[in-house]
Amino acid sequence: MYIIKNAIKCIGRAKGRNILIGIIALVIAVSACIGLCIRQAAESARESTLETLSVTATISFDRQSMMSQMGGRGEKPSENGGGGFDKDSFKEMMGQSGSLSLEEYQTYAKADSVSDFYYTLSASLNGSENFEPVSTDSSDTDSTSGGNSAPSMPGGFGGGMGGGRGQMMGAQSDFSIVGFSGDNAMTAFSSDGTASITDGAVFDEGTENYDCIITEELATFNEIAVGDAIEFTNPNNEDEAYTFTVVGIYTDTAANQDAFSFMGATSTDSANKIYTSYAALKKIVDASEASAVTKTDEDTDREYTTELSSNISATYVFENTDDYYQFEEDVRDLGLDEKYSVSSADLKAFENSMLPLETLSTMAGYFLLVILIIGAIILVVLNILTVRERKYEIGVLTAMGMKKAKVALQFLTEIFVVTLAAVIVGAVIGGVCASPVANALLENQVTSQSSQMQQIDKNFGRDQNFGGGKGGFSGGEMTPPDDLEIPEGMLGGAAEYITEINSAMNITVVLQLLGIAVLLTLVAGLVSMLFVMRYDPLKILSNRD
Amino acid sequence: MAVLSLKNVCFSYGKTPVLQDVSYDFEKGKMYCIVGKSGAGKTTLLSILSGLAEASSGSIMYNDKDIKKIDKYKFRSKYIGVIFQSYNLLTKFTALENVVLSMEIAGVKKIKKAEKALELLESVGLDEDEANRRVLKLSGGQQQRVAIARALSYDAEIILADEPTGNLDADTQREIMEIFRSLAESGKCVILVSHSAEVASMCDECYELKRIIQKNIKRK
Repeated sequence: MYIIKNAIKCIGRAKGRNILIGIIALVIAVSACIGLCIRQAAESARESTLETLSVTATISFDRQSMMSQMGGRGEKPSENGGGGFDKDSFKEMMGQSGSLSLEEYQTYAKADSVSDFYYTLSASLNGSENFEPVSTDSSDTDSTSGGNSAPSMPGGFGGGMGGGRGQMMGAQSDFSIVGFSGDNAMTAFSSDGTASITDGAVFDEGTENYDCIITEELATFNEIAVGDAIEFTNPNNEDEAYTFTVVGIYTDTAANQDAFSFMGATSTDSANKIYTSYAALKKIVDASEASAVTKTDEDTDREYTTELSSNISATYVFENTDDYYQFEEDVRDLGLDEKYSVSSADLKAFENSMLPLETLSTMAGYFLLVILIIGAIILVVLNILTVRERKYEIGVLTAMGMKKAKVALQFLTEIFVVTLAAVIVGAVIGGVCASPVANALLENQVTSQSSQMQQIDKNFGRDQNFGGGKGGFSGGEMTPPDDLEIPEGMLGGAAEYITEINSAMNITVVLQLLGIAVLLTLVAGLVSMLFVMRYDPLKILSNRD
Repeated sequence: MAVLSLKNVCFSYGKTPVLQDVSYDFEKGKMYCIVGKSGAGKTTLLSILSGLAEASSGSIMYNDKDIKKIDKYKFRSKYIGVIFQSYNLLTKFTALENVVLSMEIAGVKKIKKAEKALELLESVGLDEDEANRRVLKLSGGQQQRVAIARALSYDAEIILADEPTGNLDADTQREIMEIFRSLAESGKCVILVSHSAEVASMCDECYELKRIIQKNIKRK
């Protein structure tokens, strides 16, 4: 007990020295507090967002993985044919693989980790004389009225370019029609969605009737009202026509963010998106398959089919990220081939939104480390000087019968009390400064990140979305299977970064600061202890005499 | 019966012998003086007696127990009170704090240590105001008194004093010696180290340390 009393007395008697140590400890504490707060804020933001994040995932063909498995690393094939990338084999594999069937999707939906499951069927159809797509290209209108080809894509399938068995249809048709398995699949119309009905109502769930809803723009453009009939034709066979009834007109605020409009294909313009039920669209696809005719091009010897091209995609919903990661394992157990991969646009978007904060958190971690190392070195040096300065005191105390260990403990207590006081003051200052400092730094990070993105967009001459999921489809070969399931804003161009954090000063940060104080005290005190233990009282006192 | 006895104690600094076969007995209730010329090893002997230095050979018995078998910190803090020539007080502490700290190191159980310390300081001639003054602001004689009070604070049986009157004027010297006399009369063993004949004359017994003349073989 007297050691503590003595230590406190000694602190008061060497104010100058202890204030100096205190200031250094204070600087370390404030810096450490801000650093820890930033890290804590990042962690809290991550945890709280992940807790509330409803994760959705899709299964898609892992083209990149297949290419790398096939040795496609950019090597040029050798003369004997070895090495390099085998384009023919790859094309063949792509043709064989394609997307999964609905039955397969449903099998994977049986995994325990899945909380909800829905799917969509997409197809591309052309309009008719009285029903034309909305297009910004003035040349579209005249040629589209023919009903066979998409004028904005000269040389499209109907125009004689002849893609491969309808696979390129989506890029050259007038309309993109999506059939939803149920109301839950229409995420754009959910409470936090971007779309809403302005007239009429959404078609009945699961109906086989040819009911559809169209965009306000499309309705205005063609002077269509609820209850009117619209006619579509198969782009591969103009004689194959289907008549739908417009039961609702909708508007979508995210419409202008569609990254696919750059392709110039009218079907990719969100104004030309028509929604119906899965059952209705499936009926059309089946009918088209039944009446399909296969032709062979005499010049290229390639086969073409008039079958309506369609694509099915499924979305799995999970309650949390753990379930999502579990699902990745479950689908493999349920037999999903390695050629397919599970991905979540929500998680990617979340990771993107966290990017500036995570970067700041990492920087804060390094900053903290540097501060601690430099701070510890300064404190050690100061303590060595202090102990040398107090050599006589050590000699007297040990000559009086105080054990060296107790003398060292007293010195340690002094450092700890000073450091603790500095940490308490530092925690208060740091707690107050953490939010503004962190937000200012975060703003810089966001600005820097946004500038990079803007520069990329500028370089591309259009919106580009790296890592957001859509970039993978920029080749325009097929309609992305999950374009409608991904919440708007998550993929549409620039990421929505976390731009502000609240003060993350909590018990964890306080405990961490306390840990730092103890660590610094121990590091600095250990050196003091070594010096104290080394001193011989007789030598000290004799030399003084 | 001797409270402290030295048997054939030798000590050397490296190869230089300082003490050789020193055998003394010290009893309670007596005042001893160890005299000798400069360099005779008086202070060295005091360091050995106080446990700050260890004899090269021979034994030192405290109440018939070899002090090597006693914890040296415990020996210094409880059984022996040392008054150093340069006082060795904690200069940033007050006189009172120096005495109280000494009691705390010794583990004195008294609750009112400050009162006891004040009494001791008064007994050696320091009033309350002086007791609460920082040591550095006290005169040499006052510091000597603080050192004596500190040595008495834990009621040690043996009091060792190195040149206790060396820096003091005649009156103070006399007063200090009277304090030592009264301590001896109260039953303590007081051992003074001095080269002063006057101090020696006031003690009950004197031991003279002779300087060891080292033969220089090479020169021979």
